[in-house]
Amino acid sequence: MSQERVRERRGLVRSSQNLAAGLFLVFIAALALWLTGDLPQGRLGAMGPGMLPDWLAYAVGLCGLALAGSGLLKEGDSLEAWGLRGPFFVILAVVAFAVTIRPFSLGPLVIPGLGMIVAGPLAIVIGGYATSEAQFRPLLVLALGLTPFCMVLFGDLLNLPIPIFPQALADLLPATWSQKAILRLLAALMVLAAAAMHLSDRGRKSRKIDVVRQPEEI
Amino acid sequence: MNELISNLSLGFGVAASMQNLGLAFMGCLVGTLIGVLPGVGPIATIAMLLPITFGLDPVGALIMLAGIYYGAQYGGSTTAILVNIPGEATSVVTTLDGHQMARQGRAGVALGIAAIGSFFAGTVATVIIAALGAPLTKLALIFGPAEYFSLMVMGLVFAVVLARGSILKAVSMIFLGVLLSTVGTDLETGQERMTFGLQFLTDGIDFAVLAMGVFGVAEILRNLENTETRDVVRQAIGRLLPNRDDFRQAGPSVVRGTFIGAILGILPGNGAVLGPFASYTIEKKIAKDPSRFGRGAIEGVAGPESANNAGAQTSFIPLLTLGIPPNAVMALMVGAMTIHGIVPGPQVMTRNPDLFWGMIASMWIGNLMLLIINLPMVGMWVRLLKVPYHLMFPAILMFCCIGIYSINSLPTDVMFIGVFGLLGYLLIKFGFEPAPLLLGFVLGKLLEENLRRALILSRGSLETFIDRPVSAGLLLVAIVLLALALLPSIRKGRDEVFTE
Repeated sequence: MSQERVRERRGLVRSSQNLAAGLFLVFIAALALWLTGDLPQGRLGAMGPGMLPDWLAYAVGLCGLALAGSGLLKEGDSLEAWGLRGPFFVILAVVAFAVTIRPFSLGPLVIPGLGMIVAGPLAIVIGGYATSEAQFRPLLVLALGLTPFCMVLFGDLLNLPIPIFPQALADLLPATWSQKAILRLLAALMVLAAAAMHLSDRGRKSRKIDVVRQPEEI
Repeated sequence: MNELISNLSLGFGVAASMQNLGLAFMGCLVGTLIGVLPGVGPIATIAMLLPITFGLDPVGALIMLAGIYYGAQYGGSTTAILVNIPGEATSVVTTLDGHQMARQGRAGVALGIAAIGSFFAGTVATVIIAALGAPLTKLALIFGPAEYFSLMVMGLVFAVVLARGSILKAVSMIFLGVLLSTVGTDLETGQERMTFGLQFLTDGIDFAVLAMGVFGVAEILRNLENTETRDVVRQAIGRLLPNRDDFRQAGPSVVRGTFIGAILGILPGNGAVLGPFASYTIEKKIAKDPSRFGRGAIEGVAGPESANNAGAQTSFIPLLTLGIPPNAVMALMVGAMTIHGIVPGPQVMTRNPDLFWGMIASMWIGNLMLLIINLPMVGMWVRLLKVPYHLMFPAILMFCCIGIYSINSLPTDVMFIGVFGLLGYLLIKFGFEPAPLLLGFVLGKLLEENLRRALILSRGSLETFIDRPVSAGLLLVAIVLLALALLPSIRKGRDEVFTE
């Protein structure tokens, strides 16, 4: 403990958290100043669009400098370790949802609109891998169980204009079937599949669960 | 007085329609359902559930949102008592004695007194809002742009003073929030600001997207690093209704907590956060035997929980009368109101009296519903607490995606919750608190508008903020507050309040 203290004091950086935070703010401020550079400033009596953002950017930058300075001069927290796995999979899941929910094209990449029936499970299963405890089967059961719930809630009950299933699927089925009928049928099938998988998994349940730890500082 | 009664009866007429009762019920139910999930506080809950109110008419939507808010609050208290995880800052105090009561097999009584105390507090707060609403609105009508600007500055200073941790960091977050709010088309000149030439940024950053990213996705990222493995324990809830002795002990605390919370809740800049702390401190001070506190004293649950609910409700006052959201949750309410085409402020009461009074009446109805639904359903909430986090967060993530997509039908919005999620995660890692950022963001547009208007009126003279007495007074309060917060002795006291 005491040795650590000594080493900390000898280094140039007293609080790596504050230093990094300050530099981050300075970066944001510089970015904002660069972006608003060509906007007219105006006068106080008739402020232009660039004036307030500029002031704010200077304020953010000054706070950043002060924070970075305090990171060099005053003892404080150091940066915590970064998890890469969590952000990576969570962002991937969000992006997967965004590109599959409706037709998406980016250059040569074209994805047909697959609707919630594909985007929802994708988000759950990919997102699920953000923790090292991820197992494919329970995630799939969850995806198959929750997606129909959302389909019925958002598509059927709330009537929100959100694509539910690929248009290609509707074309395959008899034209007399309404969108809602297909939605309900698909939801029912998914729930059945989820229930079947869940029942077959029953014997392997563990008695341990993970929960969010109480934050200590509050 | 007559006016008050006729207004309230108008409100109850609106809120008690079958549809609105149903919406209040649904709101409370889903609010509790999501709010009870450990690690999901009221802000994330409301941000996630915001879209499901979009299809409704404005009155119904706000009634449902208010229901969601109370439900989420109560859900936070439930997790505080049962598993020692406070849903948000205001239920931290509840963990102290509430969880101890749960350990002694009196979880039911703790939940019961929390619900009953909250209901009493809600009733009193409803009357206070109804009584103060009209006079404060009249006061607001004499406010010009300069006064509005100064009032918002004061609110932001309050938020800084009340934020946990470093004051410098809170100030930076406010500035950053206001800066973010200036992204998009400038309203007066029509010029694009900081949009990178991207089309979906021309309307500015969507408030719901920012809130969902910073409070939904970033929270998941943080919680992922904070999980631990725990045995599934079967906890006995015990009887729910407190007996006569419990009531005798807790009754006075409920009354005291209600008034403390109600008064602090009116303060702009998240005064409601102080309520539970103040109430707990007072209960402990005046108790005959202070050593019982921290070991399952029922007063330690009753007082803070009542203060919490009273403050949660009276924090609507600055929003409804002045149009200024005092905290992040109210900021979300502003977002919701704007989506329905209502600009929060003094004109709401005169232009949409049914909305104004209907919402106030629905606050009381929402509290009643919480009492009715929650006590019998505690068993179900307990089961929810046993869902492991590695299955819960993918579900929350999907809800966030679907929710944000259904607002504007824009896939870019979904991607942006990822971007803001990362930003929020960065900020948390850097030791910043996201709440002041959101408050700065929401007040930002109003702040700029009023600043520019005031300066146009004064032909560019900054003295207008000091020449006008009300504005000068508000700025003076802000400066004094900031100076006090920076004094070393007060700072120490502030840290103590937040660490206790």
